[in-house]
Amino acid sequence: MKKYLVVLLSALLGIGLMASMAMAQDVPTLEIIANGVEGGKNAQEIAYYKEFLVPEFEKKMAEQGQEVNVEVIETGVPDERFKSRIVMDMKAGRGADIIGFDQFWLSEFVEAGLLKPLQYFDSNWDKWEGWDQYYTGIKNMMKFKGNMYGLMKGSDVRMIYYNKQLFREAGIDKWWAWQPDSWQELLDTARKLKEELPDVTPLQLNAGSKMGEATTMQGFYMAHLGTGGRIYDQGLGKWVGKSQDLLDTLELYKTIYVDENLGDADMQVAAKAREKTFEAFQNEEIAMLVEGTWFWTDVIDPDAAWGIRTRDAQIGWAAMPAKNPGEGINGQDFVSISGGTGWVPSPATDHPQLTWELLKFIGSYEGKMAYMDYKPGAVTARKDVAQNSPVTSENFFLGTVGPALAPVSTYRPGLEEYPKVSVEVQLLTEEVVTGTAPKKAMENYSKELAKIVGEDKVANKPLEE
Amino acid sequence: MISKKTAFFFLLPALVLIFIFLIFPAFWTLYYSLTDYSLLGASTEFIGVQNFINLFTSARFWNATILSFEFVFFSAIIGQAGVGLLLAMLFHRKSGWLKKLVRNLAVASWLIPAVVVAYAWAAFLDKEYGLLNQIIGIFGFTGIDWLNEVPMGSIIIFNIWRGAAFSMLLFTSALKTIPPSHFETADVVGASLWDKIKDIVLPQLKTFIGSDLALITLWTFNLFTPFLLTGGGPGRQTEILPIYTYFKAFKYMEFGLGAAISAVILFINLTLALVYLNYLKAE
Repeated sequence: MKKYLVVLLSALLGIGLMASMAMAQDVPTLEIIANGVEGGKNAQEIAYYKEFLVPEFEKKMAEQGQEVNVEVIETGVPDERFKSRIVMDMKAGRGADIIGFDQFWLSEFVEAGLLKPLQYFDSNWDKWEGWDQYYTGIKNMMKFKGNMYGLMKGSDVRMIYYNKQLFREAGIDKWWAWQPDSWQELLDTARKLKEELPDVTPLQLNAGSKMGEATTMQGFYMAHLGTGGRIYDQGLGKWVGKSQDLLDTLELYKTIYVDENLGDADMQVAAKAREKTFEAFQNEEIAMLVEGTWFWTDVIDPDAAWGIRTRDAQIGWAAMPAKNPGEGINGQDFVSISGGTGWVPSPATDHPQLTWELLKFIGSYEGKMAYMDYKPGAVTARKDVAQNSPVTSENFFLGTVGPALAPVSTYRPGLEEYPKVSVEVQLLTEEVVTGTAPKKAMENYSKELAKIVGEDKVANKPLEE
Repeated sequence: MISKKTAFFFLLPALVLIFIFLIFPAFWTLYYSLTDYSLLGASTEFIGVQNFINLFTSARFWNATILSFEFVFFSAIIGQAGVGLLLAMLFHRKSGWLKKLVRNLAVASWLIPAVVVAYAWAAFLDKEYGLLNQIIGIFGFTGIDWLNEVPMGSIIIFNIWRGAAFSMLLFTSALKTIPPSHFETADVVGASLWDKIKDIVLPQLKTFIGSDLALITLWTFNLFTPFLLTGGGPGRQTEILPIYTYFKAFKYMEFGLGAAISAVILFINLTLALVYLNYLKAE
């Protein structure tokens, strides 16, 4: 009798094991990777995945009779490191199924053959009803050479943040709604701040390679666009090595950091430059800082890492003026530049169809509404979310910044060489703020540029005497 | 007596390992230095010496090279060897707790893992909370941000502190080879420490000093630890060659160019090694 019992039990155990193994094989797992970590960098994004996306998507698919597991891979490292990690994953044909992705990497990744257009995941990708709700401009930030590679979360814009309290103490006119109309006015304000509040750094305009892409976008571009210049001349189809506009931009850096010490150059080139800058702004040691909307929503949000408790009352913003009214890009008075992040599906996935389902769910109305709750962005990708989200209407900042600056904003060139050129731009500004003469630095830049894009693709324009 | 054949057989496993892990990668690196291999490059192409041309026309490369030589000269040749010799001399033919304490501290600084040491130094030199500035504060001075304001000086002192123990140990043993009567005679005629170094130690320790310099020069030339203190900055003020290589190869993922810089470092190292070896041979 005992013998039979043992046999029976083992048989049952065996069947149970096999069944559970079979089940484990049946339930596919999707992974999503983001450069964020619970309680740290981009914590809101991770919270959105874990609290909303994972349970809701699993539930939705279960209702359709498809069991699926979704897992979140957290990282929380500098962006360049995150980028090399996903590249290595993808080159090895492995890694997460959906990748949190900075839009300006797109051309480089596609040219390297690491991404596949959406039709690879679903031949009916373009029939998705969600596309109609996407703003064309933002949607196309994930488009390269006629193919679509992913979905944008939204976009952003850049401006000058200023500390109203410090402005008031320094006796700046209209400190509650300050808006300079030219570089001259911007510099005069900085000079006055320096005179009245000697312990405060009046103005930080990002420079140097330690700041990474934040130098190119929040620093260099914001000045350069105000001269009407661009680093890539679309008309000529060439990169600009030397030009008067570029020189004017560098002269602005020189005025701020070298000639008049209106900004703190040491802080710009120090290790952890960006973190130090955030901390100094939080501690009211910086009066004006050129930054993006991410700074408002993720850095100085009262609950965020460098939160300012009285942010809404204390921190104001102003549009970045052109050098002189009308001298900005496209003859504009004010300038801004946009980037943004999104999601791309990885060709290494074992479940292309399910990955596309997950991507669609992320980009759906309910997905984006929830995302907006967790992580309010200035310029969301979907029209219906922009209209209906309580976040945009309740939030004075997000409600006003997007509409005001989106029309004057522009984009980086979507070319394969851009990331490398951007690094040279960072070094160019670094040379100027550490004392190299602008003309000499521009000369160096022009040479390095030629090494990257080739001599024939560099335009050196005549300088004014 | 073991035949040559048997000896070779015994050596074979070691030779195979050396070949696989040292010689083969070195040649592989040389090959890569002639290509435009990068993490995101669509295809890797043979571009001849283009990487080297790019390097030799780059101000950033020369900046790194000059800084590297400065770093080696001041921290290794002057610093480590000098301090090591001085410590060895001070405690030569002496005993007591002070000698033990200094020797043990010096050896400890050499034994602690580099990463731990680097963080300890970063804490020591911190502008607000660092011990150094606290001490300076006691005497009524205001401390400065050492790693930002004197970055090169900071990493040079750091490397002297870190590496002096090796030279000290080597010279301590070396001094024992000098007949004690030389020092005794010197003491009788009232020679100073400097006289002893100049007339007794230096002439007799030439070969030891040569080997010591050869070793620490190469080690210091390849040292990456300063990165943990300054990250090559501020700006490019401490961007020595190993850090420059790191940026090119692993931050911007241009492996071909990174390999080219490595090849240049290899060439400099070989040259230095040859100079030292020749010197030792001549002695």
